[in-house]
Amino acid sequence: MAGTTEDKPAADKEEKASSWKDAIYNSRTGELMGRTASSWGCILLFYLVFYLFLAGMFALTMWVMLLTLDDYVPKYSDRVPTPGLVIRPKSLDILINKNDPANYGEYVQHLENLLKNYNDTLQEKNELCPPGEYFDQDLKKEDAQENQGAEQPLGNEDVNARKACQFKRSVLGRCSGLSDNTFGYSDGKPCVLLKMNRIIGLKPRGDPYINCTSMTEAKIDFVYFPNGGSIDKMYFPYYGKKAHASYVQPLVAVKLLVNKEEYNTELTIECRIEGSNLRNNDVRDKFLGRVTFRVKVVE
Amino acid sequence: MGDSYRVTISEEANADRSITKKRKGVKKDMDELKKEVPITEHKMSVEEVCGRFETDAARGLTVAKAAEFLARDGPNALTPPPTTPEWLKFCRQLFGGFALLLWTGAALCFAAYTVQVFSEDEPAPDNLYLGVVLSAVVFITGCFSYFQEAKSSKIMESFRNMVPQQALVIRDGEKVQINAEQVVLGDLIEVKGGDRIPADIRVVSAHGCKVDNSSLTGESEPQGRSPDCTHDNPLETRNVAFFSTNCVEGSARGLVVATGDRTVMGRIATLTSGLETGQTPIAREIAHFIHIITAVAVFLGVTFFAVAKALGYTWLEAVIFLIGIIVANVPEGLLATVTVCLTLTAKRMAKKNCLVKNLEAVETLGSTSTICSDKTGTLTQNKMTVAHMWFDGRIHDADTTEDQSGAAFDKSSPTWLSLARVAALCNRAEFKAGQDALPVQKRDVAGDASETALLKCVEGLCGSVRAMRESNALLAEIPFNSTNKYQLSVHETEDPADGRHLLVMKGAPERILERCSTVLLQGKEQPMDGATKEAFQRAYLELGGLGERVLGFCHLLLPEDRYPHGFPFDADDVNFPTEDLCFVGLVSMIDPPRAAVPDAVAKCRSAGIKVIMVTGDHPITAKAIARGVGIISQKSETVEDIAARLGVPVDQVDPTLVVACVVTGAELKDMSAERLDWVLREHKEIVFARTSPQQKLLIVEGCQRQGAIVAVTGDGVNDAPALKRADIGVAMGISGSDVSKQAADMILLDDNFASIVTGVEEGRLIFDNLKKSIAYTLTSNIPEITPFLLFILLSVPLPLGTITILCIDLGTDMVPAISLAYEQAESDIMKQPPRNPKNDKLVNERLISMAYGQIGMIQALAGFFSYCVIHAENGFLPALLPGLRVLWDDRGVNDLQDSYGQQWTYEQRKILEFTTHTAFFVSIVVVQWADLIICKTRRNSVFQQGMRNRVLLFGLFFETALAAFLSYTPGMGVALRMYPLKYTWWFCALPYSLLIFAYDELRKLLIRRNPGGWVEKETYY
Repeated sequence: MAGTTEDKPAADKEEKASSWKDAIYNSRTGELMGRTASSWGCILLFYLVFYLFLAGMFALTMWVMLLTLDDYVPKYSDRVPTPGLVIRPKSLDILINKNDPANYGEYVQHLENLLKNYNDTLQEKNELCPPGEYFDQDLKKEDAQENQGAEQPLGNEDVNARKACQFKRSVLGRCSGLSDNTFGYSDGKPCVLLKMNRIIGLKPRGDPYINCTSMTEAKIDFVYFPNGGSIDKMYFPYYGKKAHASYVQPLVAVKLLVNKEEYNTELTIECRIEGSNLRNNDVRDKFLGRVTFRVKVVE
Repeated sequence: MGDSYRVTISEEANADRSITKKRKGVKKDMDELKKEVPITEHKMSVEEVCGRFETDAARGLTVAKAAEFLARDGPNALTPPPTTPEWLKFCRQLFGGFALLLWTGAALCFAAYTVQVFSEDEPAPDNLYLGVVLSAVVFITGCFSYFQEAKSSKIMESFRNMVPQQALVIRDGEKVQINAEQVVLGDLIEVKGGDRIPADIRVVSAHGCKVDNSSLTGESEPQGRSPDCTHDNPLETRNVAFFSTNCVEGSARGLVVATGDRTVMGRIATLTSGLETGQTPIAREIAHFIHIITAVAVFLGVTFFAVAKALGYTWLEAVIFLIGIIVANVPEGLLATVTVCLTLTAKRMAKKNCLVKNLEAVETLGSTSTICSDKTGTLTQNKMTVAHMWFDGRIHDADTTEDQSGAAFDKSSPTWLSLARVAALCNRAEFKAGQDALPVQKRDVAGDASETALLKCVEGLCGSVRAMRESNALLAEIPFNSTNKYQLSVHETEDPADGRHLLVMKGAPERILERCSTVLLQGKEQPMDGATKEAFQRAYLELGGLGERVLGFCHLLLPEDRYPHGFPFDADDVNFPTEDLCFVGLVSMIDPPRAAVPDAVAKCRSAGIKVIMVTGDHPITAKAIARGVGIISQKSETVEDIAARLGVPVDQVDPTLVVACVVTGAELKDMSAERLDWVLREHKEIVFARTSPQQKLLIVEGCQRQGAIVAVTGDGVNDAPALKRADIGVAMGISGSDVSKQAADMILLDDNFASIVTGVEEGRLIFDNLKKSIAYTLTSNIPEITPFLLFILLSVPLPLGTITILCIDLGTDMVPAISLAYEQAESDIMKQPPRNPKNDKLVNERLISMAYGQIGMIQALAGFFSYCVIHAENGFLPALLPGLRVLWDDRGVNDLQDSYGQQWTYEQRKILEFTTHTAFFVSIVVVQWADLIICKTRRNSVFQQGMRNRVLLFGLFFETALAAFLSYTPGMGVALRMYPLKYTWWFCALPYSLLIFAYDELRKLLIRRNPGGWVEKETYY
């Protein structure tokens, strides 16, 4: 359209510009973006009240929902039927230069962080449980009701609190970091800690133990701590963060006896929980009862 | 997209200028069309014409020459208007509307995936998957729209797809029947009554040949054709017959002087297809709406892209957020929904005899504020019918209704019997054979219009005319001619004993009266006196003033002594008396209005639509019909009426009193555009009479200058430009020419004006319902967008995924949105003025405010509530969620701790996350139940409206069933990542659903209680 008309494009432009400006602020009517101040006031007030009301409604429904929840146990746990298996250090690609402490210092720190909760001094406060059997501390129904009836139990002690079984760091032997505070990283035979995810109420059947295999041609020997990589049943079931505050999950340490020949090659290792009903072969979830990681030791 | 928007704006701003500019162009074309008909052969002798085309006036072309010419000039067919190639149409569907935005989304997905492939070891295929899904969505909706469009244009093709026309040509002296497309220049052609003329021909010889040129010139009377040149203008001369007009009776031979696009008809068709038309109102509305949504999407997308970058997200993450926001913002299914809604209405309208060629025209009719209607055939029945009779000194009403249900008059008077006898005998019209079973009014008649009317009238009132004619054998006859202005015949009487003869005559009333010395009153012959003559004059004037065609009838019983049995009556050398006859009566005829029209016009009026009559007919007839159908209401007066009543000159009448006017073509010719505007603005009731079809274009443009949305009806070829120029051109299905049908947007299958009104009603209803449908669909955008925003701002685990968004937009929301098209009107939409296209938008800020700001927000809260419930019940309390995203989405973290101390692997918590997506999705479905119910009405309570819309009930059921299907079908966890929900989770959103319902009922109550109040101003969309 432009160009074909020559009579009044200037006037048009002017008019257009002013109408455009008017859309933002019209000085004649005092309209800002097509509304007067009072109109803006009304609509903003409306939205303020409306959203406050909605916020109140949301808060109310949330409050009601939270009332239905139990403080100790989640309502549903069917999304976590079996535990995952994770390793420490927090990496699935462990690259170790055994001659450079700065290189593996981070890994050592990971292990140390985890194990400081397992210090023998700390663990001695926990129960010494009979091995090989579940450490059941289920409250009987009447007890539970009684407990609920009693408003505030004596002192600050929670009547729902459960005792935890001790897991001493020293059980991990050469991988405890007590005798060798580099966990074998300095001599190219690194320790890896394996822990099973905590799941409330889980009682694995059978005698679960960790078994690691090398997925590559390289042959590696594994040394398990505690012996045989077994996970004792006494650490089950778990009663949740609030009731089971001092709980520590059992660990298994694996020392990888990497030969000199395998230095500079990437080793793929898979560890699984065997000997129990815990799943370790899920197609989609590669961390359910198993974990695969790679290790490369460099001189 | 941006371009077209700019054009619309500037078009509005420069409306005046562009219209004048266009007008000039059109005017030039129209002049060219009118003047430069390049036919000169009519002025040549037959021999010259033969010489020109190397043909022979007796033997025709040789076959070889014909083949040569055919190869040279191409077939004798109109080039179809330039159609957009199919692939281009398809591309337009693929890249129009929201498609571009979605393609961008898909492209970003592929780009993100590519980056992931190069930067990660095991790239998650999510983005690839989403990219493919998005592309598929765009492609499928594109295909859908394309096929919908193709379907509606196919309806049109059925019209074009006529039986191949045949033509009788003489080649090498032999008559051959060939396909009309094979006709070439110089061919000698023979046409007879009933044939369609296959090309423009120069008549060589003719026998009583009459052609119907109405489709070309608008003249409704058939015109004779003869070999002589009678006029310089080829359109007026009698020795040219035009392509695609019809030969009504007789036969003729002629030489083809133009074929295909070079014919007069072809030139108009080409001109029309060159005429530009604007966007339909609904197309403008949809474009407007798409721009709003796109602007919101781009604004949000870019803002949050920037915010994400500022919050320290990586490029890849920011791009993924951008994709999510785009997908959430675009109502993917909406355009398909709109198409389906329009298609449904188009189908409904087709059932009511309005065939819509162009889907968007469905709504245009609803916003129409002015209808320029033809008279003949549209407002009237297009057949002459006896309306009044004058005998025994009184005017009697005849029944003019289509089904003969009107009141009858006293038929016992002997004068009536005589009048009927004259009308039946002095009449050459005859019923065609084999129609005895049909009602009289429906039978086909061979004969001219007035004789047909008389024939049918007598047949209907007095029984078989044939029997009457058989018993009154015809002895002599003088046909009507323009010098006599009468028609006469002599018959035997029905009584064999009576040897006398009956002479009957009809003709122009004043001529008949001149020949009469007596008058028949109550069956008795009385001498004609001054009083009778005065009564006659009064009746004649009165009937003439009604716009009726009046005929006078008289008879005479010839005395037996002078004209005995066997007397050789000679019509050429008149040997019997034609004076001193006995006057019997007058019969007046009119093409009466269709029964449904007055009602329809009244409906238009109450619906705020101005109905303007544009006709080629005489002003008096036009005005009479206009009064008859209510285009000029009973009380209104024209300037002339007022002047006559007050006895003052026309120019002294107070113009404010004038509501109606009749403008003739001659007056229109001298009118300036400003004056025409004034006429159109200041008069509510306007009749244009004696207009040429070209002037129709001026009238249409005048109305459009007033800001009106104009519907034009027309059937002739010359109407085609006006039809094309109109916002909605309405062609006639029965009487319409092909060219007019091609130019029109809509076709009235029954040629009935009343059908337009039903069309208007449907159009208005669909506009309202589309608003509801869009309000419904847009509402769910907020619960789709907000999850992303919170995901970015609060770093919570993602509450709703892109795939689930697509499930809502293209799955659960579709059927309910479509079902709103079946919603009944809330109030009498035909009692409201047409919408103002400037203010009353399909999507306005109030609709957005309602859908996004209010209902959408409640819906979003419902979704978030479900989200929180599921997280909390599975161990992640709400307080833990903000900031959790980083660890949550980290594949390396497989021992993420929840509020209860449990630890989750990546896959376990992703399943939980997808469960929350499913729950969020189900919540949206639940709140959309309430949204659907509240969207049923915009003002009324649902309790007033009721739940009678069965499709809507099905929609509610459908969306629920689909949601359940998606959630519970085994394998969905893999296919769409949707997981089964616990039954209680379905109820999380229910309080919010109830809140939506209650809130909106309250809002509507306030709107009804305080019309024009704040609530209405801010929330009535």
